[in-house]
Amino acid sequence: MKRKDELMLQKVGGQALLIPLGAKVLDMNGMVVLNTTGSFIWELLAEERSFEELVSAVVERFAVEADRAGDDVRTFLDDLIRQGWIAL
Amino acid sequence: MTDIVEYVPLVRELHERAAKLKQPVNGVFELTSLCNLRCGMCYVRQSGGDKAPGVRKELSASQWLEIAGQARENGLIFLLLTGGEVLLRNDFFEIYEPLTRMGFMITVFTNGALITDSIADRLARCPPSRVEISLYGATSATCEKITGVPGSFAACRAGIENLLARRIPLVLKSTLSRFNVAELEAMRQMAHGWGVPFYASWLLSRRPDKQGSEVEDYRLSAEECVELEATDRASANELREAALSEKVPDSDSNFYCKAGRAAFIVNPYGDLNVCSLLPEPAARPLEIGFHNAWMEVVKYVDSAPAPSPECLGCRDRVFCGRCPAWSLMESGTLSGPVPYWCEIARARKKRYGRPADPSPIE
Repeated sequence: MKRKDELMLQKVGGQALLIPLGAKVLDMNGMVVLNTTGSFIWELLAEERSFEELVSAVVERFAVEADRAGDDVRTFLDDLIRQGWIAL
Repeated sequence: MTDIVEYVPLVRELHERAAKLKQPVNGVFELTSLCNLRCGMCYVRQSGGDKAPGVRKELSASQWLEIAGQARENGLIFLLLTGGEVLLRNDFFEIYEPLTRMGFMITVFTNGALITDSIADRLARCPPSRVEISLYGATSATCEKITGVPGSFAACRAGIENLLARRIPLVLKSTLSRFNVAELEAMRQMAHGWGVPFYASWLLSRRPDKQGSEVEDYRLSAEECVELEATDRASANELREAALSEKVPDSDSNFYCKAGRAAFIVNPYGDLNVCSLLPEPAARPLEIGFHNAWMEVVKYVDSAPAPSPECLGCRDRVFCGRCPAWSLMESGTLSGPVPYWCEIARARKKRYGRPADPSPIE
């Protein structure tokens, strides 16, 4: 999976935001606030990634157990899929 | 990991965060000083047009995009495109369309009169976060008395309807003067009829470029201003709270808004300034780079003198909205009292009650 080019990550201090691009503005009507893990995964999704790759990267970056990282990544990806922001 | 949060508090919080970091998160690109209307109270419009003697050359599309790219690298997110009338630029979409791919939350200010079907179609392909259109009256007679252009009322209405037909987010607003204040409620009803938000403002400033202005003929009296703001619950509550607090502002800082800490403006000629009403320090991002130019703006604001002793010691200070830009336009210094604001502060005190104590003069 890989993120679509319809949103751009911007930062104010440490706060990460997803800003809609082009026609996506009408669907979003605002912007999305990402937490640190979400922002980290979003940046990884610039390239084609598997679920396992993302979980592994989260485990390494945040020093969490694989089960918990797997749950977090799954929750986040479900959000992105529901919104149509990633290509599977 | 994704949060949907209330937009206005989020934007306010982001600006606070940016101000602490001196990140220029909010920018205004004043794309042109030319306008198709001739409003006498306008603080921007060049009456002689772009060919008039002494009028500087406006930036090209590629120069605007160069500044935008550098500003983004420095943290710009909220971008306002304004004029003059932005749609008078033949190359507006050469600027606008690339900007919509750069990760900005874009607002466009326009008078709406040039928004034809084809312009609206093109905007709809990559819409801004918001378009704001100014109403100058609820009737053609009032509107055109202010704009000086026959047919501008109908053209504005057509522009509004062209945007609404394409679901482009729209806000209507009005600049009130003694010539249209009687139609405030009718304008509000117009907006209500279209189902779009509406707000009005009425504090008319002089021209910061010191060219002649008819603003004195248009301004409402201080009492009328205070009467108007009292109809807005949020403003009235804020002023009532200020009246009861018996506290003057904590800071003696002259600049109290986000200008020069999180916000800037670039004028049509490429000068980076504090705000639209304060055309200084005229730093040149295309010559010294955006970052260095922004640092000049930050330094200008940080090194500004405190308000005058007269203002710091004023018993009505808590009710006053004077800022360095108004001081410069009305008194020629960044610190001096602004008689119009003195009148408004007195009228607010009269309406809202107990005056605040003056702060000690150091």
